[in-house]
Amino acid sequence: MNLPLSAIIMLIFGCVVLYGGLAYFVYRALKGKKINLKGEK
Amino acid sequence: MAREFWNSRFAFIMAAVGSAVGLGNVWRFPYVCYDNGGGAFLIPFFVAIFTAGIPLLILEFSVGHWARGTPPKAFKKVGAKWEWAGWLAVLIPFIVAIYYVVIMAWCFSYMIYSIDIRWGSNAERFFASFLGDTGSPLIIGGISLPVLLGLIAVWFCIFFILYKGVGRIGKVVALTVPIPTLLLIILTIRGLTLPGAMEGISYYLTPDFSKLGDVNVWLAAYAQVFFSFSLAQGIMITYASFLKKKSDLTNNAFIVALADAGTSFLAGFAVFSVVGYLAMMQGIGIDALGTQIAGPNLTFITYPTAIGLLPFAAAFFGSIFFIALLTFGIDSAFSMIEPIAASANYKWKITKAKATAIMCILGFLLSLIFATGGGLYLLEILDHFIANFGLVTIGLLECLVFGWFYKIKRLRDHANETSEILLGRWWDILIKAIIPIILVILLVVAIINNVINNPYPDYPGWLIVLMGVSPLLIITVSSFVLMKIKGKKEDEV
Repeated sequence: MNLPLSAIIMLIFGCVVLYGGLAYFVYRALKGKKINLKGEK
Repeated sequence: MAREFWNSRFAFIMAAVGSAVGLGNVWRFPYVCYDNGGGAFLIPFFVAIFTAGIPLLILEFSVGHWARGTPPKAFKKVGAKWEWAGWLAVLIPFIVAIYYVVIMAWCFSYMIYSIDIRWGSNAERFFASFLGDTGSPLIIGGISLPVLLGLIAVWFCIFFILYKGVGRIGKVVALTVPIPTLLLIILTIRGLTLPGAMEGISYYLTPDFSKLGDVNVWLAAYAQVFFSFSLAQGIMITYASFLKKKSDLTNNAFIVALADAGTSFLAGFAVFSVVGYLAMMQGIGIDALGTQIAGPNLTFITYPTAIGLLPFAAAFFGSIFFIALLTFGIDSAFSMIEPIAASANYKWKITKAKATAIMCILGFLLSLIFATGGGLYLLEILDHFIANFGLVTIGLLECLVFGWFYKIKRLRDHANETSEILLGRWWDILIKAIIPIILVILLVVAIINNVINNPYPDYPGWLIVLMGVSPLLIITVSSFVLMKIKGKKEDEV
């Protein structure tokens, strides 16, 4: 059985918001101007 | 007494993620999603994350960081009369830990049973026999030996991790957060390669947009976010109090929230792929499994049944499933003990090791009741009342006390001082008005549901009062008593 198109769209939507969002905020933490992930700067 | 600090920002984030991610991510979210419109549920879920989950996490991080102390100290800083609310906030997770650890003890035993798939072809009967299930909460029965041994092991682990302070927590979570995530990815890949998996995933994700008009679906989304993020348990306040002065509170909240929600979303694939496989093997529809896809039924009956049907390496996949649950759960379990141990440490200057030992021994003794043959039923009643009334009340108190009795702008300025993402007035409005309104609605709906639709029609009223209502009353009275007991040095509380 193949996944319905609507389910695939929700899958992409979920991945973009959750994992894309997480990657973006981790990136901001790594490149943070005030404090990086080590808690320094 | 020297203040403790996290070794690094990474350690704090891992500890907060570890606390938020627990058994509920695996056994609650996938079912709630499936039951509330499938993929369409993601829309209210994301709205709830950004309008309630993350703002409340920012509030708790800001309060802990601003007060430089545990919830009793933080609430007392607003006004001495509010200290009881802080004690209530640390007593609630302690009560949750008492039965949460019992479920972990079950996982501990099942991890060992996985080696030879001891539940065989009838996981349901095996689970009942493992618990010494009496079939009724009114017949207590004896204590199950494997559960008792599991309890000793888990409580010892909690003590061992906590007694040295946050330095050790930081080292432990560096392993116990990534390991179960990796195991969950392995389980997901295995699940997706099974026949029937796509049928299961289709049930999980195919959206039913008509459900978006149902207010209960929106309430379910807010409740899911609220319970999943370890909010209103004093945990995030306590953890944030160990942050160094220069700490990015806002960005940390976004990372913790999205990591928690991302784990839930991933767990849905691990669960529904295997559920689809099980349904195909048994020749039944996924609908027929009903609530077998959630809670202890999923973990100890449905999933083991599916594991037993795997064509090869069943023991391997069974073991990693229970190791993943144990490692997901242990971070949450010790984070529930840390607030009360840290609060006792602050107020009465009891050493951290002593405070942790007292709480672990007390917790172990209290959790014995749930290791009995009627324990599963008693656990369900207590969990129902704590989740529906205890946590929501604390969340409401936090919003009211810090939003209305303290100038919320000061907390916003405090967060903005060291954070990359700056909070605007929208955050004040969410904390002071929107989130309290949602929490009041959740509370009212819970009261109506419990009064009109008795969730336990087969149980006598006195049992519901004893196991559901009285623990809430006892901890409320206890929080006032703890407030009144003089601290060793009052200024330190």
